[in-house]
Amino acid sequence: MAARSTPTSPIDIHDLDPQEFLEEVHSFEFWFQAVEGYLSGLTYGHKPDTPDTPLADVDRDRLITVLCNYCVGETAALEGASGLIAIAPNRLAKVFLSTQVADEGRHLEVFLHRLRDVGVTDPEGEVERRASRSLQLFKRRLLELVASKDWEAAIFAQNVILEALEFAVFHSHAQTADPITREVLLGVVKDERRHIGFGENELGRRLASAPHIRARIGQVKKELDHLVLDTLEETMKHIGIPRDEQDRLGRAYLESVERLGFA
Amino acid sequence: MVDPLETDQLAVAPDHGRQRFILDDTGFDEVPKKYRKFYRKWKGPGDSLAPNEVICPVCKVVIRSSRELRPGDRVYCMPCMSRLVVVRTEAGTLEARVAY
Repeated sequence: MAARSTPTSPIDIHDLDPQEFLEEVHSFEFWFQAVEGYLSGLTYGHKPDTPDTPLADVDRDRLITVLCNYCVGETAALEGASGLIAIAPNRLAKVFLSTQVADEGRHLEVFLHRLRDVGVTDPEGEVERRASRSLQLFKRRLLELVASKDWEAAIFAQNVILEALEFAVFHSHAQTADPITREVLLGVVKDERRHIGFGENELGRRLASAPHIRARIGQVKKELDHLVLDTLEETMKHIGIPRDEQDRLGRAYLESVERLGFA
Repeated sequence: MVDPLETDQLAVAPDHGRQRFILDDTGFDEVPKKYRKFYRKWKGPGDSLAPNEVICPVCKVVIRSSRELRPGDRVYCMPCMSRLVVVRTEAGTLEARVAY
């Protein structure tokens, strides 16, 4: 925590010109140096010497189901983010999305690898078998929005709704997960911070300059809300999160949506 | 209270008489090295904010400045790419709000 006072400290990041700040944080160089800080030395998202604690059969089965759903979410974000590059309205958004694509590809890879770690011989087949119907419907709708080139609605679905859901769930799951899954999740959460921030800020700017899009986004929210909340409830049940924590996560998911003016 | 987000008063708060801070690296590793001292993790219920700190409402990271913060100040959250403005709440505490 900050403590000592001192006569001078000439350079403060908060003095940057707003445009300079946006250029910096959207850049590939920023992303590269950021992820280097927390991924360097890891293998498939965890320290190579982290012990893999044995899981009881029931816990292992639940973890497999949860990881399968994480894979669906990450595949949706990977396909969504890559499709969005083509319709992104400016260079900064295109470059940022290219870093998000790399993040999502890594997330999918580490979750599939974790499935193999816990004994799943055909992870992709297992994902097909166990994936939540609500999440699959969400993924289909997200990709339809991307295909229809609806930038605002697709960013809302992907970087606000889906990313906020993942951010809340991964953070909560990490608190009770086995050591390897915990490390993998905490690394993913660090990436998700950028993704939710990009979504909220990009959409916030668009809404400020073109308020007429608000009604359309509100309609998308109405359409997707129940799929997200069903997925959240289902995943929390598998993770074994208590009811009050489920309520807290539901509120956390809604916070960013509310900040954008969608109650 | 006038909401600074609805005015042109960003970064115009006078600098006179503000406490200054040397920022140490807190181990926060989600931004490039040169920016790390400007951020730290919120440690939960036992934690508290110094006069040069606010919490990012988007990603919950603690944002740190080399100056004591005052209402109207602009701060940046690099981990989630948000531009924020410091406001004083009705309870008298400082809070950051997103400035899209």
